[in-house]
Amino acid sequence: MPNSVMLEVTTPSKLFYKGEVDLVIVRTLTGDEGFMAGHSWAVKLLDAGELWFQEAGSKDFKIAALAGGFIDVKDSITIFTDAAEWPGDIDVTRAEREKEQAENWLKNPSEDDSEIARAKIAIAKSLTRMHVKQGGRRRKR
Amino acid sequence: MAASNMRDIKRRIKSVNGMEHITNAMKLVSAAKLRRAKNTFERTREYLHYITESIEEIFNNTNEVPTRYLKGSREIKKTCYIVMTSSRGLCGSYNTNVIKEAARQVAHCKEEPIIVAIGNKGKEYFKKRGFKIYSEYLLPPETISFMETNQISKPIIEMYDSGEIDEVVMVYTSFVSSLEQSVKSVTLLPFEIHKDPDVPKLDKLVEYEPSVEQVFNYLVPKYVEIMVYGAIVESATCEHAARRIAMENATDNAREMIAELNLFYNRTRQAAITNEISEIVGGADALK
Repeated sequence: MPNSVMLEVTTPSKLFYKGEVDLVIVRTLTGDEGFMAGHSWAVKLLDAGELWFQEAGSKDFKIAALAGGFIDVKDSITIFTDAAEWPGDIDVTRAEREKEQAENWLKNPSEDDSEIARAKIAIAKSLTRMHVKQGGRRRKR
Repeated sequence: MAASNMRDIKRRIKSVNGMEHITNAMKLVSAAKLRRAKNTFERTREYLHYITESIEEIFNNTNEVPTRYLKGSREIKKTCYIVMTSSRGLCGSYNTNVIKEAARQVAHCKEEPIIVAIGNKGKEYFKKRGFKIYSEYLLPPETISFMETNQISKPIIEMYDSGEIDEVVMVYTSFVSSLEQSVKSVTLLPFEIHKDPDVPKLDKLVEYEPSVEQVFNYLVPKYVEIMVYGAIVESATCEHAARRIAMENATDNAREMIAELNLFYNRTRQAAITNEISEIVGGADALK
């Protein structure tokens, strides 16, 4: 039984990450879920949230912000996402500004339901960014 | 007379020379942009391939696929055309080819189609002919991000969902090689896939979460978004390739013209000198 699995994280414009990992944790629509080698095959939709993974042989987790997408678990794991960011690439002030803007939309709601949904997504995305920048919501060490 | 003629030629040489410099510079710029665009394009094609594969895989392995996005689910009345041209000229027949193909298809429509214009050239063509432009994107396409294309494709998908349009067709330029591009038109929605009995069923059960239907409903709009994004990136690549070729030809022509004008200039100069000598000789003869 192999204890590491190939993880690929792709966005429409680039291959974000590729490498052997021991454990991948993502935020699915129903909550955080971890995947290891030998997981049964699955296709699951992802919410905007943190991506945690442990590179093969390493004790430390690496984190990144994902903007939703889906995970395809087969003999290797592939994550498709609209956008992915390492903590180092995140601009916190921009995330905060976007969150404020989205909150303003919620405070002055228009009749358009899709706008409320969009604002909620925007808040979730900027919260994720902020958490990731601070090293993740729950520190796993 | 000869002197003014010579000055004219000199002026023309100078102006052609100036043009040659500009076209040559544009050629180099396009070549650099082409290289960058090609990189993104290849990456996107790979991603697109994954998505289509996933959709087909789900389709081939389950029976509970929603039919809303599939071909034959409803009658096609109103069509939405996404026309991808460039916003700048000087790229040979690149824009005309796309517009010609789009106009040919639009002419077949019974109901007035909805036009989504990406790039200024296509927008102006259809606007001038009285078509309604539903939305447009006019910035240079090579810098577009996936999030920005979402703003183009989201309303299209919403219109399809609400039944306002029944078909989405995209006309764009497909990249064959740096020297060859061809216009392609693709029907994005409704989605046409067939149950392929040759594709072997997966030998393991796949969990779909939250449900097959939801995964499928997520994937199909995603597919449209990616296709639109991919086509924009591909069209941008083609635009640069087309411009590079056009500018290369222009530079070659300018150089040829300069050579011809130089020859002509030298001949005129020689003729003027000969003329003067014969005048002097004639004058000296007269004094004898």
